[in-house]
Amino acid sequence: MTTLSTSADVSNTEPKLLPGDLAIWFFIFMELLVFAIAFLAYAIMRGQHVELFNQYQLTLNKESGAANTLLLITSSYFVIRAVHAIRNDKVKLCIRELYIALTLGTGFLILKSLEFYDKFAEGITLSTNTFYMFYLSLTMFHFFHVILGMIILSAVVIKAKQGKYSAKNHIGVETGASYWHMVDLVWIILFPLMYIIR
Amino acid sequence: MNPILNKINNIHTIWLLMIALTLFTYVFGKLGYNGLFVTLILLLTAVIKGTLIIRDFMELRDVSFLWRAIMFGWIWTVALALAITFMISL
Repeated sequence: MTTLSTSADVSNTEPKLLPGDLAIWFFIFMELLVFAIAFLAYAIMRGQHVELFNQYQLTLNKESGAANTLLLITSSYFVIRAVHAIRNDKVKLCIRELYIALTLGTGFLILKSLEFYDKFAEGITLSTNTFYMFYLSLTMFHFFHVILGMIILSAVVIKAKQGKYSAKNHIGVETGASYWHMVDLVWIILFPLMYIIR
Repeated sequence: MNPILNKINNIHTIWLLMIALTLFTYVFGKLGYNGLFVTLILLLTAVIKGTLIIRDFMELRDVSFLWRAIMFGWIWTVALALAITFMISL
């Protein structure tokens, strides 16, 4: 996969610093640890109730899950484009790319809300059974992370519009981008685990 | 080619690859394939996508070993733990 590398400058052998603020990375590591524990708990509980999990997994909307994956991946793609734009001092382009990313994030929230609405309309709650307890709690927990990510990206847009970012000073853009990619990364596992693998 | 454009083009390729891998995962689910081999393939697909996000979107390719170990270690540990758990349940 080396041919897909995006690190054009390989002449510098010194390790690069983490993009963005170091504090966001400790937050990201903590979040990833929490999600990893939740994923493992889901898999262990599934192991004890395989038939129940397989039965109710079929009630999930795979199309919606896949569409949401495409929305988040594409949103992350526009966020990294925004980072590249600000590094080249293209503030307007950076803002435009972030607006597209936010629009795609909104699409995710709408689709996921419709999925939740369908389930609640059927009378499904956290206490319906173990599968739905994991499905609703894990996807809602992720849902709130998407909202938080969008709030962070919106703050980045506001500061970019105020002219506070440039090629020399764009740590805020990288910080927001790093968090957004973490939200995408978690969904990359969540989608096949919850909707597909059986 | 301008190195910046080259960089964007590569990101474009990575995005398209991740779209293709997502559709691959969806088709597997839609066709109702299951079993250990399918589970391993789907987890490996998720690891590839996660690796691309960590390496090229989060841009951790050239950061120090510690940070790469944490992030790449996370995706592999999660996938391996899930694979083992699914294996036991079969």
